[in-house]
Amino acid sequence: MNENDKIELLKDILFSDEHEFEKKIAQRVTFLEETIQKPTKLAEKVNPLITDQINDFKNSIPETLGPTITETLKKQIKINKDAVVEALYPIMGKMVKKYVAQEMRLLSEKMNSQLSFLSLGKTKFKSFFTGKKKEGLVFESLNSAKIEQVLLIEKDSGILKASYAKTKTIDEEMVSGMLTAIKSFVEDAFNAKNQNLELIEYELYQIHLESFATHYVAIVISGNFSLGAKNKLQDIIFNFYNSFMAMNVDLVFQTKNSQNSITPVNKATIEKELLKHFKNAKL
Amino acid sequence: MQSSKKIVVLGHFGVGKTSLIRRFVTDAFSDNYKVTIGVHITKKTVEISAENNVSLILWDLEGTDDIASLRKSYLLGAHGIVFVFDVSRPSTFQDLNDNLAIIRSNLPYVPLMVVGNKADLVEEHALKNVIEAQEIAVDFIASAKTGKAVNALFLKLATLLTTNA
Ligand SMILES: Nc1nc2c(ncn2[C@@H]2O[C@H](COP(=O)(O)OP(=O)(O)OP(=O)(O)O)[C@@H](O)[C@H]2O)c(=O)[nH]1
Ligand SMILES: [Mg+2]
Repeated sequence: MNENDKIELLKDILFSDEHEFEKKIAQRVTFLEETIQKPTKLAEKVNPLITDQINDFKNSIPETLGPTITETLKKQIKINKDAVVEALYPIMGKMVKKYVAQEMRLLSEKMNSQLSFLSLGKTKFKSFFTGKKKEGLVFESLNSAKIEQVLLIEKDSGILKASYAKTKTIDEEMVSGMLTAIKSFVEDAFNAKNQNLELIEYELYQIHLESFATHYVAIVISGNFSLGAKNKLQDIIFNFYNSFMAMNVDLVFQTKNSQNSITPVNKATIEKELLKHFKNAKL
Repeated sequence: MQSSKKIVVLGHFGVGKTSLIRRFVTDAFSDNYKVTIGVHITKKTVEISAENNVSLILWDLEGTDDIASLRKSYLLGAHGIVFVFDVSRPSTFQDLNDNLAIIRSNLPYVPLMVVGNKADLVEEHALKNVIEAQEIAVDFIASAKTGKAVNALFLKLATLLTTNA
């Protein structure tokens, strides 16, 4: 067996394995989708559960409620069995849905751990995507954009006003200065008065810059930063900046209308706001 | 109180801007000359008093022989300026007046330190002549190599910035 044969063999093993895996997952996903989407299929699954629950319900009544009430209820339930089922159905439906959702999440977590194994071999991981089949896309969504860090920076001076970070690794004040210097340089170089530098790519990260009148917001993103993710991100930034502006308006208002000394918006307050908007944001 | 201030360090080529900052931030010196391209940013926190700290964000600009060609956007929002010249090279301070006027027209109110560097290369009396020949007061005569006046000049600036605010 020469080197090429070996590689071919290895490829065979790796790829067939991968297809098997992909197929299985696809089947499982399709099945779950069908189960949720098709009422008849869902009913197949749900009905036995409901019957069980009703039996439980019937059985537990004698203990929880007084025997007199029990008697009447028993009769009522026996007579109006359909009506009870009807009444319970939405509640049960929700429970089943929750259960299915939970299962889906577990499944996706399993795929995640499989994925980290797959991503060890970069080519293998890539070949996974080239087909871009429906089930392939499931995996792609796992590599979706994530917000790693958010910096609120004074536009002129490049001084960091406030920040949010999943994990603090870099000196944010220096990075803020550098980003501002890069931004000035690029914007100067293209002599574009009203144009702003919007994106910087840095190794595995993308830095999205959103400029306002006095400040700009720099967001460090990991993962696949798609157009859709960018739109969502901008919405979040605008919401945040709105509340940040509102803080400043309060400040102006207070200055004009009270004799009391005012406390300027401090870093902690802004950072609380940053946390609120960015910590659990999904792109 | 903890605040951050943008300090711009500028002057002609090779006068020792980077060296002064390196001495101040890491207390080191090198004879190796590495030209600064664009801007280099470093940070040092200075303790003014027990409850008063200032982070100086130092913008080390590339040298310019013609200050008019300086990228003005780098000066935007600066809280303090350090203008450095080389006491051993007249070409770096002959046009001191004009240079400072241009800086002042961009940033009229911020504290500005005029620093003559490389004091170790010039004899005491020659140094005196250099300073006296200037129309503008030289704030510090320093040496990045020996460390002379380096901490003092940045500390003075930091203090000015915190009392001004
Ligand atoms: N003897 C002596 N040499 C110095 C001193 N400060 C800087 N030098 C030397 O001068 C040269 C230039 O120093 P830099 O600090 O790189 O000068 P710069 O102003 O940053 O230069 P540019 O970035 O090109 O504008 C280097 O070889 C330094 O070692 C000093 O105080 N004494
Ligand atoms: Mg330099």
